[in-house]
Amino acid sequence: MNSLITDLAQEIFSGIALGSIYALIALGFILIFKATEVVNFAQGELMMVGAYVNFFIIQGIMGDLHVPTGWMFLMGLVGSILFAIVFGWFLDLVINRPLRDESVFSIIMATISMAIMLRALVSMIAGSESLVPQSPFGGAYFNLGGVIISVLDLTIIIGAIVLVSAFYYFFNKTRWGIAMQATSEDPIAAQLMGVPVKRVYALVWIFAAIVAAISGVLLSPRASLIDTNMGFLGLKAFPAAVLGGFGSIPGAIVGGIILGVIETVSMGTLSFHFHWVKEINDIIVWIVLIAVLMIRPTGILGTEEIKKV
Amino acid sequence: MLKLIGVETFYGKIKALHGISLKVLEGQLVCILGANGAGKSTILKSITGLVKPEYGTIHFKGRRIDQMDSEDIVKLSIGHVPEWRRIFSELTVYENLLMGGFLLKDDDLIHERMEEAFQHFPILKKRKTQQAGNMSGGEQQMLAISRALMLKPKLLLLDEPSLGLSPLLVQDIFATIKELHESGVTILMVEQNVNQALKIADYGYVLTTGKIFLSGTYKDLLEEEKVREQYLGEGKYNRRAKVWSG
Ligand SMILES: Nc1ncnc2c1ncn2[C@@H]1O[C@H](COP(=O)(O)OP(=O)(O)OP(=O)(O)O)[C@@H](O)[C@H]1O
Ligand SMILES: [Mg+2]
Repeated sequence: MNSLITDLAQEIFSGIALGSIYALIALGFILIFKATEVVNFAQGELMMVGAYVNFFIIQGIMGDLHVPTGWMFLMGLVGSILFAIVFGWFLDLVINRPLRDESVFSIIMATISMAIMLRALVSMIAGSESLVPQSPFGGAYFNLGGVIISVLDLTIIIGAIVLVSAFYYFFNKTRWGIAMQATSEDPIAAQLMGVPVKRVYALVWIFAAIVAAISGVLLSPRASLIDTNMGFLGLKAFPAAVLGGFGSIPGAIVGGIILGVIETVSMGTLSFHFHWVKEINDIIVWIVLIAVLMIRPTGILGTEEIKKV
Repeated sequence: MLKLIGVETFYGKIKALHGISLKVLEGQLVCILGANGAGKSTILKSITGLVKPEYGTIHFKGRRIDQMDSEDIVKLSIGHVPEWRRIFSELTVYENLLMGGFLLKDDDLIHERMEEAFQHFPILKKRKTQQAGNMSGGEQQMLAISRALMLKPKLLLLDEPSLGLSPLLVQDIFATIKELHESGVTILMVEQNVNQALKIADYGYVLTTGKIFLSGTYKDLLEEEKVREQYLGEGKYNRRAKVWSG
Protein backbone atom coordinates (compact mmCIF):
# COMPACT_ATOMS: atom_id res chain seq x y z
CA MET A 1 0.00 0.00 0.00
CA ASN A 2 2.77 2.32 0.96
CA SER A 3 4.55 1.69 -2.28
CA LEU A 4 1.36 2.37 -4.17
CA ILE A 5 1.16 5.81 -2.60
CA THR A 6 4.81 6.57 -3.27
CA ASP A 7 4.40 5.41 -6.86
CA LEU A 8 1.36 7.56 -7.29
CA ALA A 9 3.07 10.57 -5.74
CA GLN A 10 6.00 10.02 -8.04
CA GLU A 11 3.77 9.81 -11.07
CA ILE A 12 1.84 12.87 -10.06
CA PHE A 13 5.01 14.85 -9.64
CA SER A 14 6.30 13.78 -13.06
CA GLY A 15 2.86 14.49 -14.43
CA ILE A 16 2.96 18.01 -13.09
CA ALA A 17 6.35 18.57 -14.72
CA LEU A 18 5.18 17.15 -18.04
CA GLY A 19 1.96 19.11 -17.68
CA SER A 20 3.93 22.30 -17.14
CA ILE A 21 5.41 21.86 -20.57
CA TYR A 22 1.96 21.27 -22.02
CA ALA A 23 0.92 24.41 -20.17
CA LEU A 24 3.60 26.47 -21.88
CA ILE A 25 2.64 25.17 -25.30
CA ALA A 26 -1.01 25.82 -24.45
CA LEU A 27 -0.07 29.33 -23.35
CA GLY A 28 1.32 29.93 -26.84
CA PHE A 29 -1.96 28.76 -28.39
CA ILE A 30 -3.95 30.92 -26.04
CA LEU A 31 -1.93 34.11 -26.56
CA ILE A 32 -2.42 34.02 -30.30
CA PHE A 33 -6.02 32.94 -30.01
CA LYS A 34 -6.86 35.68 -27.53
CA ALA A 35 -5.47 38.38 -29.74
CA THR A 36 -6.39 37.15 -33.21
CA GLU A 37 -8.87 34.27 -32.84
CA VAL A 38 -6.43 32.15 -34.82
CA VAL A 39 -5.40 28.72 -33.59
CA ASN A 40 -1.72 28.48 -34.40
CA PHE A 41 -1.13 24.87 -35.35
CA ALA A 42 2.57 25.58 -35.77
CA GLN A 43 2.97 26.18 -32.03
CA GLY A 44 4.55 22.75 -31.48
CA GLU A 45 6.91 23.35 -34.38
CA LEU A 46 7.93 26.68 -32.91
CA MET A 47 8.88 24.75 -29.81
CA MET A 48 10.84 22.26 -31.92
CA VAL A 49 12.72 25.09 -33.62
CA GLY A 50 13.46 26.57 -30.20
CA ALA A 51 14.89 23.27 -29.00
CA TYR A 52 17.14 22.98 -32.08
CA VAL A 53 18.38 26.55 -31.82
CA ASN A 54 19.13 26.03 -28.16
CA PHE A 55 20.98 22.78 -28.91
CA PHE A 56 23.14 24.38 -31.57
CA ILE A 57 23.98 27.38 -29.45
CA ILE A 58 25.05 25.11 -26.61
CA GLN A 59 26.86 22.36 -28.54
CA GLY A 60 27.95 24.27 -31.59
CA ILE A 61 28.99 27.65 -30.31
CA MET A 62 29.37 27.49 -26.58
CA GLY A 63 30.86 23.99 -26.66
CA ASP A 64 33.96 25.31 -28.43
CA LEU A 65 34.38 28.27 -26.14
CA HIS A 66 34.88 26.25 -22.96
CA VAL A 67 32.67 28.44 -20.81
CA PRO A 68 31.41 27.09 -17.49
CA THR A 69 28.37 24.83 -17.88
CA GLY A 70 25.94 27.12 -16.08
CA TRP A 71 26.77 29.99 -18.39
CA MET A 72 26.54 27.75 -21.40
CA PHE A 73 22.93 26.85 -20.65
CA LEU A 74 22.06 30.40 -19.76
CA MET A 75 23.45 31.65 -23.06
CA GLY A 76 21.55 28.87 -24.80
CA LEU A 77 18.32 30.11 -23.25
CA VAL A 78 19.02 33.77 -23.98
CA GLY A 79 20.08 32.96 -27.54
CA SER A 80 16.93 30.93 -28.15
CA ILE A 81 14.76 33.74 -26.85
CA LEU A 82 16.50 36.28 -29.07
CA PHE A 83 16.05 33.98 -32.02
CA ALA A 84 12.38 33.56 -31.10
CA ILE A 85 11.87 37.33 -31.13
CA VAL A 86 13.12 37.57 -34.70
CA PHE A 87 11.29 34.43 -35.71
CA GLY A 88 7.97 35.53 -34.20
CA TRP A 89 8.24 38.86 -35.92
CA PHE A 90 8.97 37.06 -39.20
CA LEU A 91 5.93 34.79 -38.78
CA ASP A 92 3.69 37.78 -38.21
CA LEU A 93 5.12 39.27 -41.38
CA VAL A 94 4.60 36.20 -43.57
CA ILE A 95 1.44 34.68 -42.06
CA ASN A 96 -0.59 37.17 -40.14
CA ARG A 97 -0.05 40.40 -41.98
CA PRO A 98 -0.67 39.34 -45.58
CA LEU A 99 -3.71 37.32 -44.51
CA ARG A 100 -5.21 39.78 -42.09
CA ASP A 101 -8.20 40.53 -44.24
CA GLU A 102 -8.79 36.89 -45.06
CA SER A 103 -10.92 34.60 -42.93
CA VAL A 104 -9.53 33.18 -39.72
CA PHE A 105 -9.79 29.81 -41.42
CA SER A 106 -7.23 30.77 -44.08
CA ILE A 107 -4.80 31.88 -41.43
CA ILE A 108 -5.24 28.60 -39.58
CA MET A 109 -4.51 26.73 -42.81
CA ALA A 110 -1.41 28.86 -43.23
CA THR A 111 -0.20 27.88 -39.76
CA ILE A 112 -0.66 24.22 -40.66
CA SER A 113 1.42 24.66 -43.82
CA MET A 114 3.98 26.54 -41.79
CA ALA A 115 4.20 23.60 -39.38
CA ILE A 116 4.88 21.17 -42.21
CA MET A 117 7.43 23.47 -43.82
CA LEU A 118 9.26 24.04 -40.56
CA ARG A 119 9.56 20.32 -40.00
CA ALA A 120 11.00 19.82 -43.47
CA LEU A 121 13.29 22.81 -43.22
CA VAL A 122 14.71 21.79 -39.87
CA SER A 123 15.47 18.28 -41.03
CA MET A 124 17.15 19.71 -44.13
CA ILE A 125 19.36 21.96 -42.08
CA ALA A 126 19.99 19.83 -39.02
CA GLY A 127 19.71 16.36 -40.51
CA SER A 128 17.04 13.85 -39.72
CA GLU A 129 18.82 12.05 -36.89
CA SER A 130 17.75 12.74 -33.34
CA LEU A 131 20.04 14.84 -31.24
CA VAL A 132 20.86 14.10 -27.63
CA PRO A 133 20.83 17.22 -25.48
CA GLN A 134 22.44 17.54 -22.05
CA SER A 135 20.60 18.61 -18.95
CA PRO A 136 21.97 21.69 -17.18
CA PHE A 137 21.47 19.84 -13.91
CA GLY A 138 22.96 16.52 -14.93
CA GLY A 139 20.81 14.01 -13.10
CA ALA A 140 20.56 16.05 -9.89
CA TYR A 141 17.63 15.16 -7.65
CA PHE A 142 16.58 15.01 -4.07
CA ASN A 143 14.56 12.45 -2.26
CA LEU A 144 11.37 13.55 -0.57
CA GLY A 145 10.09 10.64 1.48
CA GLY A 146 10.74 8.15 -1.26
CA VAL A 147 9.62 10.42 -4.07
CA ILE A 148 12.41 11.45 -6.40
CA ILE A 149 12.23 15.15 -7.14
CA SER A 150 14.47 15.90 -10.09
CA VAL A 151 15.91 19.40 -10.15
CA LEU A 152 15.15 19.66 -13.85
CA ASP A 153 11.47 18.85 -13.29
CA LEU A 154 11.26 21.32 -10.45
CA THR A 155 12.80 24.00 -12.67
CA ILE A 156 10.27 23.23 -15.38
CA ILE A 157 7.35 23.53 -12.98
CA ILE A 158 8.56 26.78 -11.47
CA GLY A 159 9.45 28.16 -14.90
CA ALA A 160 5.97 27.43 -16.24
CA ILE A 161 4.23 28.97 -13.25
CA VAL A 162 6.38 32.09 -13.43
CA LEU A 163 5.81 32.51 -17.16
CA VAL A 164 2.07 31.97 -17.00
CA SER A 165 1.80 34.42 -14.09
CA ALA A 166 3.92 36.98 -15.92
CA PHE A 167 1.70 36.81 -19.00
CA TYR A 168 -1.41 36.92 -16.89
CA TYR A 169 -0.14 40.07 -15.25
CA PHE A 170 0.91 41.56 -18.55
CA PHE A 171 -2.45 40.93 -20.22
CA ASN A 172 -4.57 42.20 -17.37
CA LYS A 173 -2.61 44.95 -15.74
CA THR A 174 -0.38 46.68 -18.26
CA ARG A 175 -1.41 49.20 -20.83
CA TRP A 176 -0.06 47.16 -23.73
CA GLY A 177 -1.68 44.02 -22.40
CA ILE A 178 -5.07 45.70 -22.19
CA ALA A 179 -4.48 47.15 -25.66
CA MET A 180 -4.04 43.57 -26.85
CA GLN A 181 -7.40 42.61 -25.37
CA ALA A 182 -9.00 45.68 -26.89
CA THR A 183 -7.48 44.91 -30.28
CA SER A 184 -8.73 41.39 -30.13
CA GLU A 185 -12.26 42.52 -29.42
CA ASP A 186 -12.43 45.38 -31.90
CA PRO A 187 -9.33 46.25 -33.91
CA ILE A 188 -11.02 49.20 -35.58
CA ALA A 189 -12.09 50.84 -32.35
CA ALA A 190 -8.59 50.18 -31.00
CA GLN A 191 -7.13 51.89 -34.05
CA LEU A 192 -9.30 54.92 -33.32
CA MET A 193 -7.67 55.12 -29.88
CA GLY A 194 -4.28 55.30 -31.55
CA VAL A 195 -3.35 51.72 -30.68
CA PRO A 196 -0.78 50.56 -33.25
CA VAL A 197 -2.72 47.47 -34.19
CA LYS A 198 -0.12 46.01 -36.53
CA ARG A 199 2.53 46.25 -33.85
CA VAL A 200 0.21 44.64 -31.33
CA TYR A 201 -0.23 41.63 -33.62
CA ALA A 202 3.52 41.37 -34.17
CA LEU A 203 4.04 41.45 -30.43
CA VAL A 204 1.58 38.61 -29.91
CA TRP A 205 3.41 36.38 -32.38
CA ILE A 206 6.72 37.28 -30.80
CA PHE A 207 5.36 36.32 -27.38
CA ALA A 208 4.04 33.03 -28.70
CA ALA A 209 7.43 32.28 -30.25
CA ILE A 210 9.23 33.13 -27.01
CA VAL A 211 6.97 30.89 -24.95
CA ALA A 212 7.47 28.12 -27.50
CA ALA A 213 11.24 28.52 -27.44
CA ILE A 214 11.32 28.35 -23.65
CA SER A 215 9.14 25.25 -23.66
CA GLY A 216 11.51 23.68 -26.20
CA VAL A 217 14.53 24.52 -24.06
CA LEU A 218 12.87 22.98 -21.00
CA LEU A 219 11.47 19.96 -22.75
CA SER A 220 14.53 18.75 -24.62
CA PRO A 221 16.68 17.74 -21.63
CA ARG A 222 13.63 16.10 -20.09
CA ALA A 223 12.83 14.11 -23.20
CA SER A 224 16.61 13.64 -23.66
CA LEU A 225 15.95 13.63 -27.39
CA ILE A 226 15.44 16.32 -29.97
CA ASP A 227 13.92 15.47 -33.30
CA THR A 228 11.63 17.05 -35.83
CA ASN A 229 8.66 15.07 -34.52
CA MET A 230 8.79 16.98 -31.27
CA GLY A 231 6.30 19.36 -32.83
CA PHE A 232 3.57 16.75 -32.52
CA LEU A 233 3.60 17.49 -28.84
CA GLY A 234 1.87 20.69 -29.86
CA LEU A 235 -1.16 18.66 -30.85
CA LYS A 236 -0.99 16.84 -27.55
CA ALA A 237 -1.00 20.14 -25.70
CA PHE A 238 -3.99 21.42 -27.64
CA PRO A 239 -6.48 19.64 -25.34
CA ALA A 240 -4.75 21.36 -22.43
CA ALA A 241 -5.68 24.72 -23.86
CA VAL A 242 -9.27 23.62 -24.44
CA LEU A 243 -9.51 21.95 -21.05
CA GLY A 244 -8.40 25.07 -19.22
CA GLY A 245 -10.83 27.18 -21.18
CA PHE A 246 -9.43 28.44 -24.45
CA GLY A 247 -8.61 32.06 -23.99
CA SER A 248 -7.95 31.86 -20.27
CA ILE A 249 -4.28 32.29 -19.40
CA PRO A 250 -4.41 30.65 -15.95
CA GLY A 251 -6.44 27.93 -17.66
CA ALA A 252 -3.29 26.91 -19.50
CA ILE A 253 -1.58 25.83 -16.32
CA VAL A 254 -4.69 24.08 -14.97
CA GLY A 255 -5.36 22.29 -18.25
CA GLY A 256 -1.70 21.43 -18.79
CA ILE A 257 -1.23 19.92 -15.36
CA ILE A 258 -4.46 17.92 -15.45
CA LEU A 259 -3.39 16.55 -18.81
CA GLY A 260 0.13 15.71 -17.67
CA VAL A 261 -1.03 13.98 -14.51
CA ILE A 262 -3.68 11.94 -16.31
CA GLU A 263 -1.08 10.84 -18.81
CA THR A 264 1.55 9.69 -16.31
CA VAL A 265 -0.85 8.12 -13.85
CA SER A 266 -2.78 6.24 -16.49
CA MET A 267 0.38 4.96 -18.09
CA GLY A 268 1.82 4.04 -14.70
CA THR A 269 -0.24 2.85 -11.79
CA LEU A 270 -3.55 2.58 -13.60
CA SER A 271 -2.16 0.51 -16.45
CA PHE A 272 -0.34 -1.66 -13.97
CA HIS A 273 -3.44 -2.45 -11.98
CA PHE A 274 -6.06 -2.34 -14.67
CA HIS A 275 -4.93 -3.81 -17.92
CA TRP A 276 -7.71 -2.33 -19.96
CA VAL A 277 -6.41 1.15 -19.17
CA LYS A 278 -3.30 0.33 -21.17
CA GLU A 279 -5.46 -0.16 -24.22
CA ILE A 280 -6.96 3.30 -23.98
CA ASN A 281 -3.90 5.24 -22.88
CA ASP A 282 -3.70 7.14 -26.12
CA ILE A 283 -7.27 8.28 -26.01
CA ILE A 284 -7.82 8.77 -22.30
CA VAL A 285 -6.96 12.44 -22.57
CA TRP A 286 -9.58 12.91 -25.23
CA ILE A 287 -12.17 11.08 -23.16
CA VAL A 288 -11.51 13.47 -20.28
CA LEU A 289 -11.62 16.40 -22.65
CA ILE A 290 -14.99 15.42 -24.07
CA ALA A 291 -16.35 14.77 -20.58
CA VAL A 292 -15.23 18.19 -19.35
CA LEU A 293 -16.64 19.93 -22.39
CA MET A 294 -19.95 18.20 -21.91
CA ILE A 295 -20.20 19.51 -18.37
CA ARG A 296 -18.58 22.90 -18.98
CA PRO A 297 -18.46 23.81 -22.66
CA THR A 298 -16.24 26.80 -21.92
CA GLY A 299 -13.53 24.74 -20.23
CA ILE A 300 -12.57 24.82 -16.60
CA LEU A 301 -11.53 28.45 -16.25
CA GLY A 302 -13.10 29.79 -19.42
CA THR A 303 -15.79 32.40 -19.22
CA GLU A 304 -18.93 32.74 -21.21
CA GLU A 305 -18.28 34.89 -24.27
CA ILE A 306 -20.25 38.08 -23.91
CA LYS A 307 -21.33 39.33 -27.27
CA LYS A 308 -23.71 42.22 -27.09
CA VAL A 309 -25.01 43.96 -30.12
CA MET B 1 -9.99 73.44 -39.70
CA LEU B 2 -11.27 70.45 -41.67
CA LYS B 3 -11.78 70.57 -45.41
CA LEU B 4 -12.90 67.83 -47.78
CA ILE B 5 -12.69 68.43 -51.51
CA GLY B 6 -14.26 66.07 -54.03
CA VAL B 7 -13.87 63.01 -51.85
CA GLU B 8 -14.83 59.72 -53.51
CA THR B 9 -14.71 56.58 -51.46
CA PHE B 10 -15.36 53.03 -52.62
CA TYR B 11 -16.17 49.75 -50.92
CA GLY B 12 -14.69 47.36 -53.43
CA LYS B 13 -16.35 48.43 -56.66
CA ILE B 14 -19.27 50.17 -54.99
CA LYS B 15 -18.95 53.90 -54.86
CA ALA B 16 -20.21 55.17 -51.53
CA LEU B 17 -19.19 58.82 -51.80
CA HIS B 18 -19.62 60.70 -55.08
CA GLY B 19 -17.39 63.70 -54.62
CA ILE B 20 -18.04 65.15 -51.18
CA SER B 21 -16.88 68.66 -50.42
CA LEU B 22 -17.45 70.15 -47.02
CA LYS B 23 -15.69 72.14 -44.39
CA VAL B 24 -15.76 72.58 -40.66
CA LEU B 25 -14.45 75.81 -39.17
CA GLU B 26 -12.73 76.00 -35.84
CA GLY B 27 -15.26 76.03 -33.00
CA GLN B 28 -18.22 75.02 -35.15
CA LEU B 29 -20.68 72.23 -34.61
CA VAL B 30 -21.47 70.87 -38.05
CA CYS B 31 -24.06 68.23 -38.67
CA ILE B 32 -24.41 65.75 -41.51
CA LEU B 33 -27.94 64.51 -42.12
CA GLY B 34 -29.14 61.86 -44.50
CA ALA B 35 -31.14 58.67 -44.88
CA ASN B 36 -29.84 55.20 -44.17
CA GLY B 37 -27.06 54.23 -46.51
CA ALA B 38 -26.51 57.78 -47.74
CA GLY B 39 -22.84 57.60 -46.85
CA LYS B 40 -22.74 59.59 -43.61
CA SER B 41 -20.61 57.12 -41.72
CA THR B 42 -18.39 56.71 -44.75
CA ILE B 43 -17.52 60.39 -44.61
CA LEU B 44 -16.37 60.06 -41.02
CA LYS B 45 -14.52 56.82 -41.78
CA SER B 46 -12.76 58.53 -44.67
CA ILE B 47 -11.64 61.33 -42.37
CA THR B 48 -10.06 59.01 -39.81
CA GLY B 49 -8.58 56.75 -42.45
CA LEU B 50 -10.66 53.66 -41.70
CA VAL B 51 -11.43 53.67 -45.40
CA LYS B 52 -9.15 55.48 -47.83
CA PRO B 53 -10.72 57.81 -50.38
CA GLU B 54 -9.85 56.98 -53.98
CA TYR B 55 -10.11 60.57 -55.20
CA GLY B 56 -10.22 63.97 -53.60
CA THR B 57 -8.36 65.45 -50.68
CA ILE B 58 -8.91 65.86 -46.96
CA HIS B 59 -7.03 68.56 -45.09
CA PHE B 60 -6.95 69.01 -41.34
CA LYS B 61 -5.38 72.20 -40.05
CA GLY B 62 -3.71 72.71 -43.40
CA ARG B 63 -2.27 69.22 -43.42
CA ARG B 64 -3.26 66.63 -45.97
CA ILE B 65 -4.48 63.52 -44.13
CA ASP B 66 -6.36 61.43 -46.69
CA GLN B 67 -3.57 58.93 -47.25
CA MET B 68 -2.36 58.73 -43.66
CA ASP B 69 -2.82 55.74 -41.32
CA SER B 70 -5.60 55.96 -38.74
CA GLU B 71 -3.16 55.87 -35.85
CA ASP B 72 -1.35 58.92 -37.19
CA ILE B 73 -4.57 60.79 -37.91
CA VAL B 74 -5.71 60.19 -34.34
CA LYS B 75 -2.41 61.63 -33.15
CA LEU B 76 -3.23 64.87 -34.97
CA SER B 77 -6.01 65.28 -32.44
CA ILE B 78 -9.10 63.96 -34.16
CA GLY B 79 -11.41 61.88 -31.99
CA HIS B 80 -13.95 59.55 -33.58
CA VAL B 81 -16.90 58.05 -31.75
CA PRO B 82 -18.04 55.39 -34.19
CA GLU B 83 -21.56 54.31 -35.01
CA TRP B 84 -23.00 51.97 -32.36
CA ARG B 85 -20.36 53.23 -29.92
CA ARG B 86 -18.04 50.25 -30.18
CA ILE B 87 -16.87 50.34 -26.62
CA PHE B 88 -14.74 47.38 -25.58
CA SER B 89 -17.51 45.37 -23.99
CA GLU B 90 -15.23 42.79 -22.40
CA LEU B 91 -13.11 45.43 -20.68
CA THR B 92 -14.12 47.43 -17.64
CA VAL B 93 -15.13 51.07 -17.79
CA TYR B 94 -11.75 51.99 -16.33
CA GLU B 95 -9.91 49.95 -18.95
CA ASN B 96 -11.95 51.49 -21.74
CA LEU B 97 -10.93 54.95 -20.59
CA LEU B 98 -7.35 53.77 -20.23
CA MET B 99 -7.47 52.74 -23.89
CA GLY B 100 -8.88 56.14 -24.79
CA GLY B 101 -5.74 57.58 -23.26
CA PHE B 102 -3.45 55.00 -24.83
CA LEU B 103 -1.38 57.68 -26.55
CA LEU B 104 -0.86 59.62 -23.33
CA LYS B 105 2.42 58.55 -21.85
CA ASP B 106 1.90 60.17 -18.49
CA ASP B 107 -0.08 58.16 -15.93
CA ASP B 108 -0.96 61.22 -13.89
CA LEU B 109 -2.41 62.90 -16.92
CA ILE B 110 -4.47 59.80 -17.73
CA HIS B 111 -5.95 59.80 -14.25
CA GLU B 112 -6.57 63.51 -14.36
CA ARG B 113 -8.53 63.14 -17.59
CA MET B 114 -10.39 60.18 -16.15
CA GLU B 115 -11.45 62.28 -13.19
CA GLU B 116 -12.73 64.91 -15.61
CA ALA B 117 -14.78 62.25 -17.35
CA PHE B 118 -16.16 61.07 -14.01
CA GLN B 119 -17.11 64.61 -13.12
CA HIS B 120 -18.96 64.89 -16.36
CA PHE B 121 -20.63 61.50 -16.06
CA PRO B 122 -20.72 60.46 -12.38
CA ILE B 123 -22.41 57.22 -13.37
CA LEU B 124 -19.19 56.10 -15.03
CA LYS B 125 -17.34 56.44 -11.77
CA LYS B 126 -19.87 54.18 -10.10
CA ARG B 127 -19.42 51.64 -12.87
CA LYS B 128 -15.65 51.99 -13.00
CA THR B 129 -14.82 48.34 -12.41
CA GLN B 130 -17.84 46.96 -14.21
CA GLN B 131 -17.63 45.24 -17.56
CA ALA B 132 -18.61 47.88 -20.08
CA GLY B 133 -20.77 45.50 -22.11
CA ASN B 134 -23.14 45.14 -19.17
CA MET B 135 -24.06 48.80 -19.11
CA SER B 136 -27.16 50.39 -20.60
CA GLY B 137 -27.05 51.96 -24.05
CA GLY B 138 -26.95 55.47 -22.64
CA GLU B 139 -24.13 54.66 -20.27
CA GLN B 140 -22.24 53.04 -23.10
CA GLN B 141 -22.65 56.16 -25.21
CA MET B 142 -21.34 58.30 -22.35
CA LEU B 143 -18.40 55.95 -22.08
CA ALA B 144 -17.76 56.10 -25.83
CA ILE B 145 -17.74 59.90 -25.76
CA SER B 146 -15.56 60.02 -22.63
CA ARG B 147 -13.18 57.54 -24.18
CA ALA B 148 -12.74 59.74 -27.22
CA LEU B 149 -12.30 62.80 -25.01
CA MET B 150 -9.36 61.27 -23.14
CA LEU B 151 -7.03 62.70 -25.76
CA LYS B 152 -8.76 66.10 -25.69
CA PRO B 153 -9.22 66.11 -29.46
CA LYS B 154 -9.39 69.42 -31.31
CA LEU B 155 -11.97 67.88 -33.62
CA LEU B 156 -14.54 65.36 -32.46
CA LEU B 157 -16.43 63.17 -34.93
CA LEU B 158 -19.69 61.76 -33.58
CA ASP B 159 -21.52 59.09 -35.56
CA GLU B 160 -25.18 59.02 -34.57
CA PRO B 161 -24.71 59.56 -30.85
CA SER B 162 -28.45 59.15 -30.25
CA LEU B 163 -28.68 55.79 -31.96
CA GLY B 164 -30.78 53.32 -30.02
CA LEU B 165 -31.31 55.58 -27.02
CA SER B 166 -34.60 56.36 -25.34
CA PRO B 167 -35.98 59.89 -25.91
CA LEU B 168 -34.94 60.95 -22.42
CA LEU B 169 -31.38 59.79 -22.93
CA VAL B 170 -31.28 61.43 -26.33
CA GLN B 171 -31.96 64.73 -24.57
CA ASP B 172 -29.12 64.04 -22.15
CA ILE B 173 -26.67 63.18 -24.89
CA PHE B 174 -27.52 66.26 -26.91
CA ALA B 175 -27.17 68.43 -23.82
CA THR B 176 -23.73 66.94 -23.32
CA ILE B 177 -22.76 67.57 -26.93
CA LYS B 178 -23.94 71.13 -26.65
CA GLU B 179 -21.86 71.59 -23.53
CA LEU B 180 -18.80 70.15 -25.22
CA HIS B 181 -19.29 72.46 -28.13
CA GLU B 182 -19.63 75.45 -25.84
CA SER B 183 -16.43 74.47 -24.08
CA GLY B 184 -14.67 74.96 -27.39
CA VAL B 185 -14.49 71.53 -29.03
CA THR B 186 -15.07 71.55 -32.76
CA ILE B 187 -17.58 68.86 -33.64
CA LEU B 188 -18.65 67.11 -36.83
CA MET B 189 -21.71 65.05 -36.07
CA VAL B 190 -23.78 62.60 -38.08
CA GLU B 191 -27.40 62.40 -37.01
CA GLN B 192 -30.79 61.18 -38.07
CA ASN B 193 -32.47 62.91 -35.20
CA VAL B 194 -32.86 66.02 -37.28
CA ASN B 195 -34.92 68.10 -34.89
CA GLN B 196 -32.50 67.77 -32.04
CA ALA B 197 -29.40 67.94 -34.16
CA LEU B 198 -30.25 71.10 -36.03
CA LYS B 199 -31.22 72.83 -32.82
CA ILE B 200 -27.63 72.78 -31.63
CA ALA B 201 -25.76 72.80 -34.95
CA ASP B 202 -24.16 75.86 -36.55
CA TYR B 203 -24.25 74.40 -40.01
CA GLY B 204 -25.69 71.35 -41.69
CA TYR B 205 -25.18 69.21 -44.76
CA VAL B 206 -27.86 66.94 -46.15
CA LEU B 207 -26.60 63.87 -47.93
CA THR B 208 -28.41 61.67 -50.44
CA THR B 209 -26.74 58.61 -51.93
CA GLY B 210 -23.21 59.83 -51.56
CA LYS B 211 -23.81 63.40 -52.70
CA ILE B 212 -24.36 66.60 -50.82
CA PHE B 213 -27.86 67.64 -51.64
CA LEU B 214 -28.33 70.70 -49.46
CA SER B 215 -26.31 72.71 -47.03
CA GLY B 216 -26.77 75.76 -44.89
CA THR B 217 -27.26 77.09 -41.42
CA TYR B 218 -29.93 75.38 -39.44
CA LYS B 219 -32.39 78.17 -40.16
CA ASP B 220 -31.85 77.79 -43.90
CA LEU B 221 -32.32 74.08 -43.63
CA LEU B 222 -35.40 74.27 -41.48
CA GLU B 223 -36.97 76.53 -44.01
CA GLU B 224 -36.06 74.25 -46.85
CA GLU B 225 -39.29 72.46 -47.73
CA LYS B 226 -37.59 69.24 -48.72
CA VAL B 227 -35.83 68.71 -45.47
CA ARG B 228 -38.99 69.25 -43.60
CA GLU B 229 -40.84 66.82 -45.78
CA GLN B 230 -38.20 64.19 -45.59
CA TYR B 231 -37.19 64.41 -42.01
CA LEU B 232 -39.30 66.58 -39.87
CA GLY B 233 -42.69 65.43 -41.06
CA GLU B 234 -43.07 62.21 -39.14
CA GLY B 235 -39.95 62.26 -37.13
CA LYS B 236 -39.72 58.56 -37.75
CA TYR B 237 -36.84 56.92 -36.15
CA ASN B 238 -36.06 53.32 -36.73
CA ARG B 239 -33.62 51.13 -35.00
CA ARG B 240 -31.45 49.67 -37.67
CA ALA B 241 -29.18 46.77 -38.10
CA LYS B 242 -25.49 47.23 -37.61
CA VAL B 243 -24.22 48.70 -40.86
CA TRP B 244 -20.79 49.49 -39.63
CA SER B 245 -18.67 46.58 -40.65
CA GLY B 246 -15.66 48.19 -42.26
N1 LIG C 1 -18.02 47.79 -45.13
C1 LIG C 1 -18.79 48.02 -46.20
N2 LIG C 1 -18.69 47.23 -47.29
C2 LIG C 1 -19.46 47.44 -48.38
N3 LIG C 1 -20.33 48.42 -48.47
C3 LIG C 1 -20.49 49.25 -47.45
C4 LIG C 1 -19.71 49.10 -46.25
N4 LIG C 1 -20.07 50.06 -45.38
C5 LIG C 1 -21.01 50.79 -46.01
N5 LIG C 1 -21.26 50.31 -47.24
C6 LIG C 1 -22.21 50.86 -48.20
O1 LIG C 1 -21.87 52.20 -48.43
C7 LIG C 1 -23.03 53.01 -48.45
C8 LIG C 1 -22.92 54.11 -47.43
O2 LIG C 1 -22.87 53.53 -46.14
P1 LIG C 1 -22.75 54.35 -44.81
O3 LIG C 1 -22.55 53.38 -43.72
O4 LIG C 1 -21.75 55.41 -44.97
O5 LIG C 1 -24.18 54.98 -44.71
P2 LIG C 1 -24.82 55.84 -43.56
O6 LIG C 1 -25.31 57.07 -44.18
O7 LIG C 1 -23.91 55.96 -42.42
O8 LIG C 1 -26.06 54.94 -43.18
P3 LIG C 1 -26.73 54.68 -41.76
O9 LIG C 1 -27.62 55.79 -41.48
O10 LIG C 1 -27.47 53.41 -41.98
O11 LIG C 1 -25.62 54.54 -40.76
C9 LIG C 1 -24.20 52.08 -48.23
O12 LIG C 1 -24.75 51.77 -49.48
C10 LIG C 1 -23.60 50.86 -47.62
O13 LIG C 1 -24.31 49.71 -48.00
MG1 LIG D 1 -23.91 55.34 -40.55
